[in-house]
Amino acid sequence: MNINEKIKLFLVDDDAVFLKLLEIEFLEHGDFSIETFPTGESCIANLSRQPDVIVLDYMLSGIDKHAMNGIDTLDKIKAFNASIPVIMLSSQDKIDVAIDCMHHQAYDYVVKSETAFIRLQKIITSIFQYKKIEKQLNWYMERS
Amino acid sequence: MAIEKLVTVEKFKNEYARRLIEASLDPLVAINTKGKITDINQATVNITGISKEKLTDTNFFDYFTEPQRAQEVYQEVFEKGSVTDSPLTLRHRNGKLTDVLFNGSVYKDREGKIEGAVVVARDVTSQKILSQYSLSLIEASRDPLITISPEGKITDMNEAMVTVTGINRQELKGTDFKDYFTDPTKASEVYHEVFSKGFVVDYPLTIKDGKLVDVLFNGSVYKNDSGNVLGAVIVARDITEQKRNEKELLEAKIFAELATDIADIAKKKAEAAAQSAEDAVKAKQQFLSNMSHEIRTPMNAIIGFTKVLLRTDLSLKQKEYMEAIKLSGDALIVLINDILDLAKVDAGKMTFEQIPFKLAFSIAAMIHLFEAKAQEKNLQLKKEYDLSIPEVLLGDPVRLHQIILNLLSNAVKFTAKGAITVRVKLLKQDEAHVTIEFSVIDTGIGIAENKLVKIFENFQQESSDTSRLYGGTGLGLAIVKQLVEPQGGTIHVESTLDMGSIFSFTLTFQKTTAEAIYETPMDSVETKKQNVNILVVEDIALNQLLMKTLLDDFGFGCDIAANGKVAIDKLQKNVYDLILMDLQMPEMNGFEATIYIRNTLKSNIPIIALTADVTTVDLAKCRAVGMNDYLAKPVDEKLLLAKIVSVIKNSPPLVDVRETVRKEVVVSRCTDLNYLNKRTKSNPSLMVQMIALYLEQTPPLIESMKESLKMKDWEALHAAMHKMIPSFSIMGIGQDFENMAKKVKEFASHQMETDGIPDMVQQLESVCMQACQELKEEMNNIKKTIA
Repeated sequence: MNINEKIKLFLVDDDAVFLKLLEIEFLEHGDFSIETFPTGESCIANLSRQPDVIVLDYMLSGIDKHAMNGIDTLDKIKAFNASIPVIMLSSQDKIDVAIDCMHHQAYDYVVKSETAFIRLQKIITSIFQYKKIEKQLNWYMERS
Repeated sequence: MAIEKLVTVEKFKNEYARRLIEASLDPLVAINTKGKITDINQATVNITGISKEKLTDTNFFDYFTEPQRAQEVYQEVFEKGSVTDSPLTLRHRNGKLTDVLFNGSVYKDREGKIEGAVVVARDVTSQKILSQYSLSLIEASRDPLITISPEGKITDMNEAMVTVTGINRQELKGTDFKDYFTDPTKASEVYHEVFSKGFVVDYPLTIKDGKLVDVLFNGSVYKNDSGNVLGAVIVARDITEQKRNEKELLEAKIFAELATDIADIAKKKAEAAAQSAEDAVKAKQQFLSNMSHEIRTPMNAIIGFTKVLLRTDLSLKQKEYMEAIKLSGDALIVLINDILDLAKVDAGKMTFEQIPFKLAFSIAAMIHLFEAKAQEKNLQLKKEYDLSIPEVLLGDPVRLHQIILNLLSNAVKFTAKGAITVRVKLLKQDEAHVTIEFSVIDTGIGIAENKLVKIFENFQQESSDTSRLYGGTGLGLAIVKQLVEPQGGTIHVESTLDMGSIFSFTLTFQKTTAEAIYETPMDSVETKKQNVNILVVEDIALNQLLMKTLLDDFGFGCDIAANGKVAIDKLQKNVYDLILMDLQMPEMNGFEATIYIRNTLKSNIPIIALTADVTTVDLAKCRAVGMNDYLAKPVDEKLLLAKIVSVIKNSPPLVDVRETVRKEVVVSRCTDLNYLNKRTKSNPSLMVQMIALYLEQTPPLIESMKESLKMKDWEALHAAMHKMIPSFSIMGIGQDFENMAKKVKEFASHQMETDGIPDMVQQLESVCMQACQELKEEMNNIKKTIA
């Protein structure tokens, strides 16, 4: 990722209102390039656009039962490029949901609540800090 | 015969063998057990330069540079039966030396007894040169090079190794390789690795010597022809330089990072400074704006009550004092407005509107304002108006008023006798535009010619005496200039001392077919309507009292509301003919109140805005929210009366809004856009987007909720509730409903029959429907403010 470019964020949620709110908040609080998708399918179809981070709703198949659910979408993303960090979002504060997400290589799991955005922001910051440290470490390893 | 033939064959064979031997280029020598030469070939003769006869029966070893070694070779042959690749040097008769490798083996007689040995000497001069060349290359290498035995002992090394270790070859040879490094354990690892893997690549070590040389080891084993490992060759690459470079680079990097940090800090400081400078400018403007409001509000009351008092019975002296108070107050207001105007011009905040207005009315109104003053000074006030000017023009009437007001007040101030003429002349016109020249002509004191250029500058009057005699700040003409020029007009002055001055300016207006918005017929106030009931919405008690006094004087009924909320309450209870609405109020300001009255109460009641600050022009906003007219504070009572009368006269018969209102008000609002306001920082377009999405998403969700409950499709019900829940808090719908939705969702996931579920779904449906209704209205309101 080029440092000069904005962080490209994919937001995926079938709840259009929540999705919009999230988009607004991200645009307000950070320098992000944001693309939103109402379904897992549309997100997958656009992975070639190389998102830096994906925020993915867990329950994507709520209303449309034939829609790809969050975990399947997560698997597809990971199959496409395992290094894309995916943060799962869900309105359920359930341990088995969280564990399910972790087992499918989600980077983190955030419950939809008033503090969700702050949590997301923190997580994204930490992702990039971690990546930076990793990069520096590699650089030094190569030098010695 | 047969024997003869056999002998011939034998002889032929011998001769063939002999010829072969003679043809060989390698010297071939047969020696007996005593070391005497028994036979040689031609090559031996060539290499020694001695004839065959002379060589035969001489000592084999006499022809070598090292007879001792040659003797050893010969002994070895007879001891072991053969010798391979034994290096010796042959000496030619004339001294030329030839390096050879000896290979030889014994030959035996028929009984197996050793008769002698045949040695072949291979000329290796060229090979030796080659190997010497390689050796010199190895010696020339600046990288230390050593060979070690499988036991880890040093077997050979080059000069560089000697230099690096500082120990000579003899002392190095046969010692432990690992002893020469700072870390012997790691060094022995290198040697183990080389022998186990066959090679080692870039292994870092430090050679122990005076300086501690950092090296990288590369090495591999070497084998003999049969593939047995003989030892290992290890090249140590001196990386002291690289290490130093690396260190320097690292230091440079750290410095660069530090420098970047410092630069960052400096940048942040600069940004902070720029920000604080910007803040300071903003603060200054805010301060001026606030001050204007703060000063004008009490001034408003002072002037207003002075006027009221002036109409009461006063003694002559009292009346004189009151006049003085009023005059000072008026002057103060003018001064405050001037300073504010200039501040606004400086801040680039002066904006010009394009609204349709009637020029003739504007001019008449301006002149009307000065009638009283002119009369006092016994001056004639004349108007010359060009009737070919189109009735309605597109422009900024407020600014035009300001310009003419300034010029007229100057004219009145500096003229002691004679007349003041306002002349409005059509200069030129095309299809879209008209250019009009406005002139204010007086017969006053005039201006000296050399001062004419300076009078339009800030704080300039014709002479310092002028201000002593006539007062004033010298800001008026500067403001006039600032108001005319940005509109594309020009201003100029002609003057003769003691004769009078002509100030004229030209402005270009667009033609329009639109109706003029504001009409202020000053002359037709006679038609007073009785039983007029006016609601005054004003938060400051003094102003409330003043308005009440004025309206009482006019004979109008009057009710006071302290803010927009109170006004709306009162509107729902009583009937009014007109609202006088202050714009800046706590709780609910004038704009919000008007939006509510127009959109929610659906009332057309005339609303006149009261604004303390005409120049910042919220006029566009006033019109946008549906106000009928505006009035600047301090309120001119004649203007107030004129506006009230004209607005009431023009307004359609009033509809009693109370009935329609009551129905809507029974249900309290279920949505609250506070959260959305906060999240979007009240960005109207974002709010509209959010609400639009909610309106799009919610009705299908309600349908899905009802349908799934009916069909007992618990999964679908669960999904619908799941998606519905986040929107409650976003749109500020109460916690009760959110909890209700959660309960329904809980029920859907466990299917535990609870009695209340259909009822809850019913309630959720109605609250969501109501929310949609409310949000639709809110969205339209917000859209209006955007437009």
